[in-house]
Amino acid sequence: MSTLQFLADGFGIAFQWHNLLFAFVGVIIGTAVGVLPGIGPMSGVALLIPVTATITSGMPTDAAAASSIILLAGVYYGAMYGGSTTSILLNTPGESSSVVTTLDGYQMARQGRAGAALAISAIGSFVAGIISLIGLVLLAEPLSNIAIKFGPAEYFSLMLLGLAAVSGLAGKSMTKALMMTVFGLMLGTIGIDAVSGIARFTYNQPILFSGLEFLTIAVGLFALGEVFKTVLERDHEDGAIAKINRILPTKQDMKDSAVPIVRGSLLGFFIGVLPGAGATLASFFSYMTEKKFSKNPESFGKGNIAGVAGPESANNAASGGAMIPLLTLGIPGSGTTAILMGALIMYNIQPGPLLFDEHPEVAWGLIASMFIGNLMLLVLNMPLVRVFAKIIQTPKKYLLPIIVAISFFGVYAVQYTTFDLYLLLGCGVAGYLLSKNDFPVAPLVLALVLGPMIENNMRRALTISNGEFSIFFTKPLSLVFIIAAAAWLLIPMLLKLKGRAVIVEEEG
Amino acid sequence: MSKTFDRYSSIVFLLVGLLFVIESQKISDSAYGSTVGPKIFPMWLGVILILLSLRLLYETFKYKTKTASESKLQYKKFIIILTSAVLYAFLLEKVGYVISTFLFLLIAFQTMERGRLLPSVIIAAVFSLSIYYLFAEFLGGSLPGFPVF
Repeated sequence: MSTLQFLADGFGIAFQWHNLLFAFVGVIIGTAVGVLPGIGPMSGVALLIPVTATITSGMPTDAAAASSIILLAGVYYGAMYGGSTTSILLNTPGESSSVVTTLDGYQMARQGRAGAALAISAIGSFVAGIISLIGLVLLAEPLSNIAIKFGPAEYFSLMLLGLAAVSGLAGKSMTKALMMTVFGLMLGTIGIDAVSGIARFTYNQPILFSGLEFLTIAVGLFALGEVFKTVLERDHEDGAIAKINRILPTKQDMKDSAVPIVRGSLLGFFIGVLPGAGATLASFFSYMTEKKFSKNPESFGKGNIAGVAGPESANNAASGGAMIPLLTLGIPGSGTTAILMGALIMYNIQPGPLLFDEHPEVAWGLIASMFIGNLMLLVLNMPLVRVFAKIIQTPKKYLLPIIVAISFFGVYAVQYTTFDLYLLLGCGVAGYLLSKNDFPVAPLVLALVLGPMIENNMRRALTISNGEFSIFFTKPLSLVFIIAAAAWLLIPMLLKLKGRAVIVEEEG
Repeated sequence: MSKTFDRYSSIVFLLVGLLFVIESQKISDSAYGSTVGPKIFPMWLGVILILLSLRLLYETFKYKTKTASESKLQYKKFIIILTSAVLYAFLLEKVGYVISTFLFLLIAFQTMERGRLLPSVIIAAVFSLSIYYLFAEFLGGSLPGFPVF
């Protein structure tokens, strides 16, 4: 069957009425998550996993997995749309990926062009979403055909590369990022060893036999950590919300932003495909590129529409690009995709090259639903942008306790143990303390998800080679991955030594 | 960036690494005679974590102390909310989802901002009841609803 045939089947799944509903709910919640400062795509997705797991509990596994991943991915790319709203109207970025949007977006709002800025970022996000999806469709088959030839040694090195990339770019101190990665890998070894069946670090506590649930840890570290931070530090949001007068952009606006949108989309897509680099980096690069290509760079920061169109397209394209390594190689390149991967594993569906053969309805259904979801977002965002802007005014007083209650419900409904609730609270406190002190928590979650797979592949590779570690260096592809992993770690280090500023990828 | 926190955490992670190295020695070797048993991976992770912690400890002596402008933290609110969350976890299975959630939300709402009791009561009640009925009755999930006497 050809790619087009698969895609058509995917649309067949995405157009089932309940999947349309799931995509719709996903993008709506995603937009809300993007608008609300404090809840990022990561905690949003993590919080919704248990909810989707219960809603889909009556369906057959494959259909359930397809439906919930459709919703969760909707939250992910929906957040990219919503993030720009607060940047433009309030000068407060809803996500780290829309920080640069504040530079020109807020200026435009002050000049009374808030509507145009919002509309352009919605249009840009839509175009970027479609471009990155076309890239995903084109690259999915060939990439998974290559990946299917990978042996355990190649997989081990590739996952090492993924971890190295995320650690190399996360946070201010690489030592701390690496510590978090290793700690996450260690937490992943708790429980019964999948290869030998021997219990490790369980101390005869039956609750630990199945290992620490990644969902509990992710929700605790991100959602609760963020809640505790806001309770403790109570950031003041003053500053009036800019008025939205006219929503449709003028012809001149469209003309000015057409090229930046396309450029931002392509740039964002390729940055998104790279592990470790995500939406935040993509938007920064796009902003710098637009400034460089612009005829009058001095107008940037004073309300140039290209400074909104480029970065907003780039961050959305990056979130589409980030799905490629996840779906085709089974390796998440960022914290949010790690959580999506954890969700798939919960349904016993292993992302990776075999995904397209074994569960085509999940893979292609998701891709097709992303086309539909992006269209929904465009249609929703243009007329409803005023409504979404209202979400910003949700009082923190009610919002924060309800986030705690939803986390409790979510974790308990999946795990049915009080132990996980205590673990959740512990992770919440730890998440606050760690991220306050520049210990990035995204690598920890990524390592926790990848840990068991890394270990299994390492042991399988070493069994093949009779315990010779040289297997990782003699297989050419594996060697390439290891060299790339080392480069990801060494290059930022060298740049820092030279005193160059290194942009870090932050995720919330 | 807090130097003291970095120093303490590097020591804590150092101990965690040490614990993993020592404890992994107790894991029995695989019965299959495979060269790499279940203890190799955690042991090496422990070693790496020890090295990284030492590196962080060394870094804390190097960088200059920054007088961070510490904004006043609202410890009181945080402690009340954390304690009530712990109690919530403790009581969830004992008095059921609806009552424990209602109580937790009410306390947390009022801790965040005193006054306006009625809206707090209504929101807490609507949230806990609707989640329970939607989930347990409508979707057929399982939650300990009310206390069993």
